[in-house]
Amino acid sequence: MLKATNLHKSFGKLEVLKGIDLEVQPSEVVVLVGVSGSGKSTLLRCFNFLERINQGSIEIDGQVIDAKKQKLSQVRAEVGMVFQHFNLFPHKTVLENVIEAPIVVKKENKETAIAKGKALLEKVGLADKADVYPSKLSGGQKQRVAIARALAMEPKALLFDEPTSALDPELVGEVLAVMKQLAEEGMTMVVVTHEMKFAREVADRIIMLDEGVIIENTDPKTFFENPSNERTRQFISLVE
Amino acid sequence: MEFLQTMLEVIKRTAPGFLEATVLTLQVTAVALVLGTLLGLVFALMKISKSKILQTIANIYITIIRGTPLIVQIMFLYFGITAVIILDAFWAGAIALGIHNGAYIAEIFRGAIQSIDKGQREASMALGMTRGQSMKRIIFPQALKRSIPPLGNQFIITLKDSSLVYIISVSELFAVANRDAAQSYQPFETYLVVGLYYLVLVMIFTAILRWYEGRLNVDK
Repeated sequence: MLKATNLHKSFGKLEVLKGIDLEVQPSEVVVLVGVSGSGKSTLLRCFNFLERINQGSIEIDGQVIDAKKQKLSQVRAEVGMVFQHFNLFPHKTVLENVIEAPIVVKKENKETAIAKGKALLEKVGLADKADVYPSKLSGGQKQRVAIARALAMEPKALLFDEPTSALDPELVGEVLAVMKQLAEEGMTMVVVTHEMKFAREVADRIIMLDEGVIIENTDPKTFFENPSNERTRQFISLVE
Repeated sequence: MEFLQTMLEVIKRTAPGFLEATVLTLQVTAVALVLGTLLGLVFALMKISKSKILQTIANIYITIIRGTPLIVQIMFLYFGITAVIILDAFWAGAIALGIHNGAYIAEIFRGAIQSIDKGQREASMALGMTRGQSMKRIIFPQALKRSIPPLGNQFIITLKDSSLVYIISVSELFAVANRDAAQSYQPFETYLVVGLYYLVLVMIFTAILRWYEGRLNVDK
């Protein structure tokens, strides 16, 4: 579904990604972990072309994406993204947030978009909040709206960039529950997170990045019980 | 007591002429604001565009306008343009004032647009919006709301600056007061009265802006 080949990305002189090869299968849930500065968020953002890659290639659904030739907006419409700070549109109601892109980008008619939008809000447990503005919501509710908003585009895959890192501890669970449900329904997901419990329970594969390279790429059981790399062992002892 | 009586007489005497001139002042201001806001929007978008050429054009415009006195711009436009096409003093003055304001309003819009969290742009782009769609639907509506207070300030300045078009003989409020002051030999009272006219206009303007700002904040 998603495939990165020999991916390099630098910010000025600082090389953040040093040749990443990663393939994500349809319906697979891949969790990216690593200490801060390891490049995990940058890698995620490359999959949605929010960062321009310097070298290598990205394939989505078997098609190599050429950032120079293709309309990136069309490519992005197919891969959803959920951000650490939600980034809901504050001047629009919850429902308007969800139906905005289907109407503007996919040219869906308004009635269809509203019906689908309401169903998605129902799914994330926020049907009663359709007409309120984001400023009235808790962090956990905001993030669930953000997930509904991303789902409204019917993406082929969803990218999560530390979706629970900005939340109060008691609100983390409700967001992870929605993500878990999506995983069970077969959504292809790449998740950058520090939630090791989620990684252990939901991930099909855990990938550990360190200084811009992948040092671990394995199933959760092996990752936690028998990691191959010393750095991974240190990391696990730190976060658990 | 005597002074108040004189003032009342001056107010009464000047009222017909001043009220008529007030209409002209408001017309000059309105044209200048519409033109200034449109130019401000265009130049703000040019300044934040990716094109170096557009950025440079916008920078030159803003530098020249902000770097020269309004009164010089009015004279320049009046005598410059009327040499080529026939344009009466009202339009020359209003257009000069509009072009002048465009530069300041461009900076207000640019500042407001750039103050919107970059996560907003990223979120809209991640949903598949183009740069234009993101600007129109997500960034600009938020920036506009944020521009209202400085924009209101600029609008008040424009209202007062409109008095400068008296220099090209537009019979707006200040021009009429100026004439009256000379003819009546009551300059002190006359200028005091015309000052009150501007003060009241600005206060009405401010009240409208407050109301509008309040309305924008009702449900958010």
